[in-house]
Amino acid sequence: MTCDELRDRLDAYARGMLAAAEAAALEAHLERCVSCEALLAEAEPQPAGTQALPKSVEPASDLWPGIHARLAPRSRGGGRGRIAMPGWMLAAAAVLLIALSSGITAVLLRPPPGRTAAPATGALAPLEVQYASAAAELSAELERARGRLAPATVRIIERNLAVIDSALAESRRALAQDPGNATLERLVIAAWRQKMDFLRRATALSTES
Amino acid sequence: MRRVALVCIALAAFSVLTGRASWAQQKIDRRIAIAADASIRIYNMAGTTRITGWERDSIAVSGAAPPGTSFFMGGSGRVAKLGLEPDEKGKEVTGGTLEVRVPRGARVWVKSAAGSIEVSGMTGEVDLSTVGGGIKVVGTLRLVTAESMEGDLEVSGASPLVRVKTGGGKILLRQAGGDVIASTVSGPIIAIEAQMSGARLETVSGPVSYSGNIDRRGTLNIQTHSGDIELLLPTTIGAEFDLASTGGLATVALPAKSGKPLKGRSVFFTNAGGGAQIVARSFKGQISVFGQ
Repeated sequence: MTCDELRDRLDAYARGMLAAAEAAALEAHLERCVSCEALLAEAEPQPAGTQALPKSVEPASDLWPGIHARLAPRSRGGGRGRIAMPGWMLAAAAVLLIALSSGITAVLLRPPPGRTAAPATGALAPLEVQYASAAAELSAELERARGRLAPATVRIIERNLAVIDSALAESRRALAQDPGNATLERLVIAAWRQKMDFLRRATALSTES
Repeated sequence: MRRVALVCIALAAFSVLTGRASWAQQKIDRRIAIAADASIRIYNMAGTTRITGWERDSIAVSGAAPPGTSFFMGGSGRVAKLGLEPDEKGKEVTGGTLEVRVPRGARVWVKSAAGSIEVSGMTGEVDLSTVGGGIKVVGTLRLVTAESMEGDLEVSGASPLVRVKTGGGKILLRQAGGDVIASTVSGPIIAIEAQMSGARLETVSGPVSYSGNIDRRGTLNIQTHSGDIELLLPTTIGAEFDLASTGGLATVALPAKSGKPLKGRSVFFTNAGGGAQIVARSFKGQISVFGQ
């Protein structure tokens, strides 16, 4: 499926109206195309009620006098829905928000003891928070189910996860030395995706056993 | 005295024969009618499973059930389920073979742990999963999904959609076309005589080797952490190349491009007017592009 073909079908896919084979082809394309993946987020299904709405609504004959009458007092004394706050207070609120979100990120991405982790940069940070949180959940699930897996399977899982973790740590260290390097950022994301995928498969095995 | 000895020999022979019956493999020979596009689920945790598509609306199973297991099969219309299950839950069994003939266009789901899975003659969809065993699929199917934790995966044929994943095993793709997603952790990915329209090939430490062509408007995206990447492509391929290795080197030796090879940590160029998009990224693997 090409990018153009995908764009034609994206709305139908978001609404769950695509045939299974077409949906599978579309998902396969999404997995390897970052730009189309971003489009999917924009193609959120509309609430069901919106489909029943008329396509256009004609305005009443002359609305301006009414609008003007309601705007006039606001220009003198400030609107009811607007927050009136001094500039220094807004700046302080922004600093507080940034500090708070950075703190949460740092806690979630805190490396295990004995291992150094690189700080994530720019747009990568929120992505890594999501990956780290999801990976922690899956790891916990896998740990709980460990007893149900054959020892040989556990060894296979541990060996593969060790390879992925080592690659992830190495890429993150390199990114810390060269923040904003797009190639390194992609490699970090690829390593996270590999880890998530492997953990999902391992967890599925343990729940099916 | 002689009579007593004969009775003893007869008793011993009887006990040996009955004992043998308890550990001998049991032969399987069963069949049921089913729709041509049926969904079929197959469980064979330890033994080999061979699936063959045929031009009949029925499932035929032959093979052998190892001691301590029982064969089961049921279903009608568009759904069926069959397999080998241990007589005692949780007990580990080994061996056993299932030869299963299914309608060509069926959707077949197979689950195994230590066993291997082979598919041929089908045109429908397969979803195959094993932990330590290998998987081999031959033919052009609508959809191939194959996953193993450690086993080798081999897919031959130009199926429009192929998704294959393994951990330490090897992935071998022969004459692959359409959209392909292949991923390993430490195992290699090898594509031979490929003609893909879209592909994402990913490993962590395993090497990737791609030999063949890419559709005029196709995309080939390869990523490794430490595995080397090798592309063997027609010298006249119309494509944009975007190659980068942080700790390795990208080398391009396409005679149509220029007299001397391009080299660098990052190489970007257009060959023969462009068309396809080829992106290769590695953290410390070497990237090589050769003409064929």
